This record gives sequence, C-alpha cells and structure tokens, in this order.
Amino acid sequence: MELLGRQEVWSITYDHALGETASSFYTRIRDEAAIYGRRSAGSGKVMVPPRSFSDETLLPTEEWVKVGPGGKIEAFTMVYEAFKNLPPPPYAFGYVLLDGADTALGGYFKGVDLTDPAAAAEKLKIGTRVTTKFAEERKGEMLDFWFELA
Amino acid sequence: MGLKVQPGVIGCAIRPVIASRDRSLEEIIYDTAQMALKDAGLTIADIDGIAVGSNDQFDGRSISVMMASGSVGGVDRDIMSTPSGSEHAFILGALRVATGQFRTQLVVSWSPTEVSSMPEAQRLGNDPYFHRALPQDELSAHALQASAIENAVPGARSAAEAVAAKNRAFGTAAWGDQGPSGKMRWPLTPGMTSEPVTGAVAMVLASPEFIAERWIKNVAWVQGMGWATEAAFLGDRDLTKAPALVAAAHQAYKMAGIANPDGAFGVAEMTDATPYSELLAYEALGLCHRNDWTARAADGTFGAGGRLPVNPSGGVLTWNPVFCTGMIRIAEIAQQVRGLAGKHQIPGVKRGLAHAGSGFAMQYQAAVVLGQEARP
Repeated sequence: MELLGRQEVWSITYDHALGETASSFYTRIRDEAAIYGRRSAGSGKVMVPPRSFSDETLLPTEEWVKVGPGGKIEAFTMVYEAFKNLPPPPYAFGYVLLDGADTALGGYFKGVDLTDPAAAAEKLKIGTRVTTKFAEERKGEMLDFWFELA
Repeated sequence: MGLKVQPGVIGCAIRPVIASRDRSLEEIIYDTAQMALKDAGLTIADIDGIAVGSNDQFDGRSISVMMASGSVGGVDRDIMSTPSGSEHAFILGALRVATGQFRTQLVVSWSPTEVSSMPEAQRLGNDPYFHRALPQDELSAHALQASAIENAVPGARSAAEAVAAKNRAFGTAAWGDQGPSGKMRWPLTPGMTSEPVTGAVAMVLASPEFIAERWIKNVAWVQGMGWATEAAFLGDRDLTKAPALVAAAHQAYKMAGIANPDGAFGVAEMTDATPYSELLAYEALGLCHRNDWTARAADGTFGAGGRLPVNPSGGVLTWNPVFCTGMIRIAEIAQQVRGLAGKHQIPGVKRGLAHAGSGFAMQYQAAVVLGQEARP
C-alpha cells in the first residue's frame, strides 16, 4: 500500500543566558583579542573555556587568567560535510591546550590546505604548536578566533 | 557486594534495524515491547513498572515518553523515563527490581531516523555557550578521540582496522548483510563507522521470587553492573583514556565477585561506535592493555573462535540505531547467556559481559555482567 510521511519544520528561537563568566569570556575576546580562563580554587587548574565553578571540586573558580595565544594541538579532525550555520566544508577543528591553561579549548584550524587529508593531518599532528588568531572585526563569539600553525 | 534482590532477565526483543516505514514510531515501540513480553511468557498485566530510554531530538517529540507511554503499557501504570542513555533505562529497571518494591520491570528503548540530519540533532547535545559553534556531533567526537588514541598508542590504527574487519565479519555471519558504512571524518574511514538506522530493544526483568513462582528456567541473572560519567566538555578530558569505564567495570566486577576479568566471560558485546571505542573498552574493562592491542587484534583473541569473542552480533559497526545501541549490547549478552542469540550464538556461554558507552566520545559508560548462576 502507499505509505505516507508527514514533514514538519519547527523554527523556535532560544535566547540562552550566558551568565557573567561566559559573557566576560566573549567580551574580552571582542574587546581585547585575548583568551581568558578561570582558575579553580580547589585544584588550581585553569579552565578554558572559563567556568564559574569546577565540576571536579564543585568550588567556585576564583580568578581570571590570560592564556595563550600559543598552544599545542590535543585532538583534531577534518570534516567534509556541511553543518547548518557553520562555515562551508571542508574544515579542520579540534582542541588546543593553550599556554597557561589546564583544559583544552575547541576551535577551528585555518591556513592548512585540506585537499590532501593525509598531508594536512601530518601538519595538524597532535602536539604541534599553534597560535590563536583573531578576526579584525569581532562580535564576541566562538568564530572570532581560530588556530594557525605557529 | 551483590544487589539485595538480584534481578534476572527473562525476556528480550532486539531489533537493531527496522528498515520498513509500514509502522509509525509508537507502533514500533508497541511491537517491540510485545515481543519482549512474549519472549518472557508474560503479558502487561504481569508488569509492575516500566523504564524507558529515548532521545527527544531523534524522536522529534518533546518528552517523547509522553507519546510512547501507551505503546509500552504505561497508561495507569508506573513508568519512568531517562534521556541520558538506553543502558541507563536498563540500569534503572534493574535497580527498581533490586529495591524489592517491584517484582517485574519492562525496559524499552528506541532510536528512529526520522530527523532530516542526525548530526544536527546530535549537535543539540552540546552546550549552547561554547561548543555548538563547532561541527561537533557524535561522529566528530569519536574522530577526535580516534586522533588522540592514534597519537598516544603506536600501532593503534592497524589494531583499529583489524577490529573493524572482525566486527564486519561477525556482522556478515549474523545478518548476511552489512549495515551502511559511515562518513569520512578524519582519521575515521567510512568502514570504521556505520550510518544511523532505526532500531528498538526491549527487555523484561524479574525478581528471584517472581521467577521461582512462575517456574521460569531460562534466566540471565544480573551478576554485576556499574556505571559512571565523564566530563561534558571534551577539552576537559584525556580522550586517550576511559576512566568512567574503569570505574564502571570495577563496580560491576566487585558486585559479581570477579577478581580477574581475563577468562571470566564466554562472550562480550561492546559499544564499537568506532573500533577505537572497542580498543579503549578492552583496556578499561581489564581485558587487554593498550600495549597488546595490535597483537591481540591480529591473533584473533576477540574474534570468532577466539578466547573471548567480542561483538558476535556484528556490533554497532554493523547496525547503528544510535540511541539504543548500549541497551542492545546488554540484551545481546542476555540472549547469549540464555542460548537464544540465534545465528551468532556462541556455544556454552555461562557468563557474558556487556559494555555500553554513549554520548560524545563515550561520555557515559556502563558495564553489565550477566550469567546463568543466580549468585556467582
């Protein structure tokens, strides 16, 4: 028999409150072109992106710490398909442990030719030094910065 | 120390792939629950409580259990729901029997593919503050973990390729057909993952008192189970390790009285979202140190006829109903212990091990030991 389907498109907008900590992270990126983390009172670890409390110790974090712009790659992948509201593929992204930080920050890698994935992977090898680059015009969002080979 | 009341699995329905669209999601859930009840020789009138696991983004229904309650017999009956993982629904059901307050539990989980893009649905699992601006779905998280493991463990790639080949061979033997291969997401090749499919699973658990009263003989007893969770942000984690699974295994083995897992099981099912996930599980479950991955993957230790066959069902690499893959691993082991695993039954299984991992790079981890003996 003829089997039918029913397509639905829902368009609902959420206005998520970032709170003071994430707001400060982004306004510093926008205004200072710099990445800041928060130091955990209990462990002393500098958490990037910043959190107002540590989920290890459950204690509030106590101070802002400027990290980077240099760092090293901890994990990476290359993506060949499109995602909504993201840059056109292909692109590389991953996690970078910025100098002075104890947790790794996610972000895009730019400046590496991805047409030959194996060659690109060699350049993005884990442990490779990178530096954080900032857009000329910054909005206070994740796409304001990216990583390039140092 | 064991549970106060030891639950036993007395019925299962495993449907790792449902290709036809001749049944709606609620009808699929109804069918699957009825199949498990039939396998147990029970009707819904025998069920004291229901636990379900489902994912609202995949279902396209908010609080999806609201629509599914009727399918599983939840109208005017106790029912609870978890979105954290299908394996958590099983644990919830087992714990409810263990309290002594319930003699029976029906546990059901499902994973449809009705959404236009599973990667986009999965991205909603990220926090809205930092990580939704990245192409971070489950496949990306697995790929990031694979890149970290390849860097940390020499030879990991060849071991991963051997694990993928093993599971695809198991899948061919079990199903005669292969599930669709996944996408390229460096360093994962399409053959190392599989595309999501629609699937469902249901299990019936009962107390020893109920099992004795009904003269039920074919039981997979819950000898041990453990579960733990890792940090939500991937950047906070060492992706080359699986500490939550180490903790879960410790808890499960302690409950089951297992001092050395090597040689303790006749079969295992592991959540091989990628072969790297399976390799990490070998180590975290105390079955194979990472230095031995390459050798054990090459010598067939975990293959057909090996010392410990892992994923005779073909695993997630064969069929990937994303949200319910964890509970399917547990149900597969229950059926192996009950001698009802069908074409992929391993002969003489007395005790088996299920590993269920879910979320980004297996944030959620669980280990379940099932066996023929009521008290190990």
